Amino acid sequence: MKILKANAGALTNFEVYDFLHKKGASVDPAQRVMTKLRESELKVFDHLVHTAACNQTRESIIEFTEKSKEFNLAKSEVVNIINIRPTDPVEAAPCIEDYLERMDDELLEELQTMINTVLPPRPERQMSEEDEMDAS
Amino acid sequence: MFFLSKLEHKLRLPPHKLDMPIEESITDELQSIFLDKVIPKLGLCISVYNIISIEGGFVLPNDGAPTYTVVFRMIMFRPYVGEIIEAKLIESDTKGIRLSLGFFEDIYISSYALQQPAHLEPDPEIPNEKFWVWKHEEEEDLRVEGNEIRFRVISVDYPTIPLEQDQGSKPFAPMVVTGEMNMEGLGPASWWV
Repeated sequence: MKILKANAGALTNFEVYDFLHKKGASVDPAQRVMTKLRESELKVFDHLVHTAACNQTRESIIEFTEKSKEFNLAKSEVVNIINIRPTDPVEAAPCIEDYLERMDDELLEELQTMINTVLPPRPERQMSEEDEMDAS
Repeated sequence: MFFLSKLEHKLRLPPHKLDMPIEESITDELQSIFLDKVIPKLGLCISVYNIISIEGGFVLPNDGAPTYTVVFRMIMFRPYVGEIIEAKLIESDTKGIRLSLGFFEDIYISSYALQQPAHLEPDPEIPNEKFWVWKHEEEEDLRVEGNEIRFRVISVDYPTIPLEQDQGSKPFAPMVVTGEMNMEGLGPASWWV
């Protein structure tokens, strides 16, 4: 085995989720028996289904990468934010290296508003918002 | 978390797979060779992304099967330093905590990398179980537990295979991820929301 190119590109969780989904992975047990996917691929799929990746779309990710250029974020930080999909500036702060020096609270708030408008919300948060609406 | 790596491999295609279209049978063979294995410095192989070229197909003397040289791209799980990952807690002990992603279970966070000050407390309900607890100023103790624990990757190591292992010790882990969660915003998601 020869390694031609160790790093041929970074993938966001959404791209891996999409790839496995197109190959036939799904949560439905009836479908799972019929797929040709291996156990380990299904385990990766199970993990990704619980993250923000299952709600995202290719267009929203492209839009987000465009808009994040204004904030001077490194590529790894953009990937981090897409994968974690923070809902609060406090959650977004660890994704950015040395955020105390590069950003102040205002900029972080702006970034968070942009995330909220461009990227779809995470699945669990949608459920908890529904619970809140039912409760009120 | 995931990267693409371009690899080249000379593989022998078993004759019983020759009735499938060639790309399919080669993908199948590559999956059985590489999937779930760790390549040092590249990470854990998740899946074959696509095949770029297939060459060869010669049958070597004394062999009943064709040999192909395949160039392909593979999805690798390789966390980078500084990445934030969300994982599930499996066990806590005196050295720290161990987290799992379902497909990868060797993520360790040592006790001094937890939010300080932290101490180990036995669980009142389940005997023999312990939990790490964070004492945060005046508020009540916060437990490190749950399915959504966020941490930051400090390093990814690939220890070499040991020649001898004592019986009863932990199975050898070819890839170990070490993390920290002593920054604001890290730890169980329920602490910060």
